[in-house]
Amino acid sequence: MHDQPIDQNNLSPTMMEHLDQNLDQRILRALETVPQPHIPTGFAARVASQLPARPTVSPTPTHYGQRAMLIAMVVTLVALLVLALQPAAHALGLLETLLFAEFVALTVWISVWRYGLR
Amino acid sequence: MNTDLTFEDVIRDHQDMVFRTLLRLTGSREHLDDLAQDVFLRLYRALPSFRGEALITTYLYRIAVNVAQDEWKRRRRDRNTHISLSDDVSGWEDRLPHPDRNAEQQIEEREFQQSVEEQLQRLSQIERTILVLYHQEERSYEQIAYALGMPIGTIRTHLHRGRKKLREALQQRQTQQRRAACTTNR
Repeated sequence: MHDQPIDQNNLSPTMMEHLDQNLDQRILRALETVPQPHIPTGFAARVASQLPARPTVSPTPTHYGQRAMLIAMVVTLVALLVLALQPAAHALGLLETLLFAEFVALTVWISVWRYGLR
Repeated sequence: MNTDLTFEDVIRDHQDMVFRTLLRLTGSREHLDDLAQDVFLRLYRALPSFRGEALITTYLYRIAVNVAQDEWKRRRRDRNTHISLSDDVSGWEDRLPHPDRNAEQQIEEREFQQSVEEQLQRLSQIERTILVLYHQEERSYEQIAYALGMPIGTIRTHLHRGRKKLREALQQRQTQQRRAACTTNR
């Protein structure tokens, strides 16, 4: 026979404790129940067929950056030489300093990159 | 064996886990296929950067939780926060077998299971996720911490808090039902 409804106000502490334990067990049982969802047939194959192609990586590096650095160094060096042949002028002196700083920066950069001075 | 076939094996090995975790986390069968597919596509994209510091299963839980979070956000945007357990896309607990019990107990147990599911959906996202990963998926604190990117202490706190809230809500519900039954009998 099914249990009669319980009036909680008339329950003894032992009975209350028993009910609490029972509730805990039922909650745990419910939480531990593993759902069994329907997985469409061929799901794995369908997903695998929709995978995007991986980007291809070129086996030969291009070294565009290295070439750009070398060209910039040569251009800067030529500009420095041209400026060195000009008669002294304040504006040109400033430009020469800037170009020299650029040349030094490029030299340090390419040395670090090429010889691994890191 | 090429890469695609290997990945297909990975999907086949883990699809049960991904489907059931997403089902419990989202509380609905709606878009479940799409969500599961999203999980595996994200895994595929993340594989080149996967450093193997965790099991692929744990990594998948992490992705599944992220996908579920995105789904919660989408639902919130759609103003569909209320999840009806009586619709035809949820209520998975209706199909749970209880071969060793009589019909009345089965109905009672099913109703209780349904109540737990409802209350589970009312918990915060993080509490629900931790309860599902700990109780349903039987993950360790460390694995849950990795999957959610949280300290273990926080996981313990949320787990304790989530269980307490769930218990209080179910206790309150049971008390209300008993009172209602008493009133009806009088």
